[in-house]
Amino acid sequence: MLRPLYRCLLRLHPSGFRRRFADEMLSIFDHSVGKPAALRLLVDGLLSLARQWALRPEFWHELSPAQQPAADGIPAFYTLDPFRPRAGAVIHGLVLSTALFCLTCFAIRYSWIHILHVNIPAVQFDSLRSMQPSAGASATLERPTVPPRWQDKAPIALSTASHSAPVAVAMQNRALQPSATHASETLGSESPERSGRSPELLSTTPVPQAPLQPYVGTRVDQPQAPQPKPQGATSAMIRAVAEDVKLDAAERQRVIDGAIANLTKYYIYPDVAQTMADALLAHENSGDDDAATDGEVFADLLTRQMRDVSHDRYVMMVYSTVTKPENPPPSLEDVSRYRKEMEENNCTFEKVKILPHNIGYLKFNEFPDASICGTTVAAAMASLNHADAIIFDLRDNPGGYANMVALIATYLFDHPTHLNDFYNRSEHSTEQSWTHPPVPGNRLADKPAFVLTSLSTFSAAEGFSYDLKMLKRATLVGETTSGRGHVGMGHRIDDHFTIRVPGIRVVNPISKTNWEGTGVEPDVKVKAADALKTAEKLAERRLQKK
Amino acid sequence: MKDSAATFLPLSPATLHILLSLAGEDLHGYGIMQEVTRQSQGKYKLGPGTLYDNLQKLIQRKFVQELGRRPGDEDPRRRYYRLTSLGHGVLAAETERLADVVREARLRLQIAKPRRA
Repeated sequence: MLRPLYRCLLRLHPSGFRRRFADEMLSIFDHSVGKPAALRLLVDGLLSLARQWALRPEFWHELSPAQQPAADGIPAFYTLDPFRPRAGAVIHGLVLSTALFCLTCFAIRYSWIHILHVNIPAVQFDSLRSMQPSAGASATLERPTVPPRWQDKAPIALSTASHSAPVAVAMQNRALQPSATHASETLGSESPERSGRSPELLSTTPVPQAPLQPYVGTRVDQPQAPQPKPQGATSAMIRAVAEDVKLDAAERQRVIDGAIANLTKYYIYPDVAQTMADALLAHENSGDDDAATDGEVFADLLTRQMRDVSHDRYVMMVYSTVTKPENPPPSLEDVSRYRKEMEENNCTFEKVKILPHNIGYLKFNEFPDASICGTTVAAAMASLNHADAIIFDLRDNPGGYANMVALIATYLFDHPTHLNDFYNRSEHSTEQSWTHPPVPGNRLADKPAFVLTSLSTFSAAEGFSYDLKMLKRATLVGETTSGRGHVGMGHRIDDHFTIRVPGIRVVNPISKTNWEGTGVEPDVKVKAADALKTAEKLAERRLQKK
Repeated sequence: MKDSAATFLPLSPATLHILLSLAGEDLHGYGIMQEVTRQSQGKYKLGPGTLYDNLQKLIQRKFVQELGRRPGDEDPRRRYYRLTSLGHGVLAAETERLADVVREARLRLQIAKPRRA
């Protein structure tokens, strides 16, 4: 037992010493009699090990053979370390390092936590720019002071800018390209007025979206939604590019096949995707689609067929009379246009003020891209930095970018905080969203916070509310929110058809779920119109208790 | 030779004992250890770690020469070592130095030889 130990000790000695004396030392060990003597030799070996490594660097390596002078002027080269590892050791090392490399690659690829991929800007929530004032209390709210153009914007959907081909990136969503896309206004609505609209009227309805903008019809189930106003100025242009397409059986078949392929690949729940695919095929086989020769009618039909079985109001087939380019890249013009719009609108930060009792109040009507609006946020938060409490008014906030959610939430924490995860079904990957490191000089991290919500609070705005509620960092006051916790993408099927498929699920790390379908329940339920007053009173009461 | 040997002095006890043990005959490591024990009457025991640490220094300084293995030895792993002439010189110089030290110590401590009556 002691002999192998002693051998190990000898093996651990520097190579020069080991090669020269290890055999002899082992020989001496073999001559030792009795356990005490062997133990003494072990201690001696330990001391020798320490001495050789710590005090004898000059003997770590074997002395080089005497240098021979170069013959005939040919230079001779000597290596400092003549030691060469055994072939077995080299193979061992090779196997070990390969295994370690594979293990690391596997961990990076399949780890549930993709800490290396914490890339918050990649994920964009919905940016719902509702075309219509919301029903109920929110309609009585003071309207935002953003230009009318924003008010007229169509609901803009969730997208993930990092995802490749079929994804409508944020900038594209912002691009006010005239389009004849009009599924959103009619799908899901039982209004005869809508369904009876003539193609001419529809084709003159400009919907300011990029062609591939996903989830156009996110508010279609709200019966109160008024129609967007036709704008004659753009209608001529649309007519110029519109094509009168009559669908034949082959085209319908192609669209259905494309829909099934995309649903199967991207839809957040594979079993529901299969159900929808089966339903589409069943309707096709039974001849239900045969009468649909108009693109819009066919898109509506397919949307209904999918929704009937999935009960997901965000899955949608969209038809456009405008020929859509394949995977249009976001142009610099789009980016600069978005930047300019944000500058003109103060990044949708409508009100930043101090209310009585030193309560900070911040009303912003979108979560804009933090890379463009970061300075505006910093200025707004700096002006509220000395408030004793803070109220975030999200009653008119239709969502936007996850990076802005993280940026604003950063001011409420004194340490980086995990907000939520984005699970991408098609990629089987999860991206985490965290707040940033604490902002130097920030004094709001321990101040009471309130979030005002309404029926219009949507997507990323709901995420902000939900995250703070789960973290018990803010009190939510107002109405239950819309209930959009999935992120979707538009997938081009052909020149005219695009299917919008929810493919990313937001998962809160605390609740392990999200607000999809249910909305975010406020802590204090009041009408949206009364939310601010209620929050002020709550804040005042909280401050008095201190 | 004497002057050059003096530059290596004083020797550490282990070095002195090793050189001294090799002064009589060529020895292998285990033999050196036994000889050191014998010379010191068991008061100084050299472990193999210390022995070979010193031997590698002595070989490098050329006080000791490594002779290699001897065929027919009891243990073929053993290598023999021999004191070189330089090693002899150093040992002689150290012995003289120590004799001076002892003489000086005796004088200081007044440990004179007992006077004859």
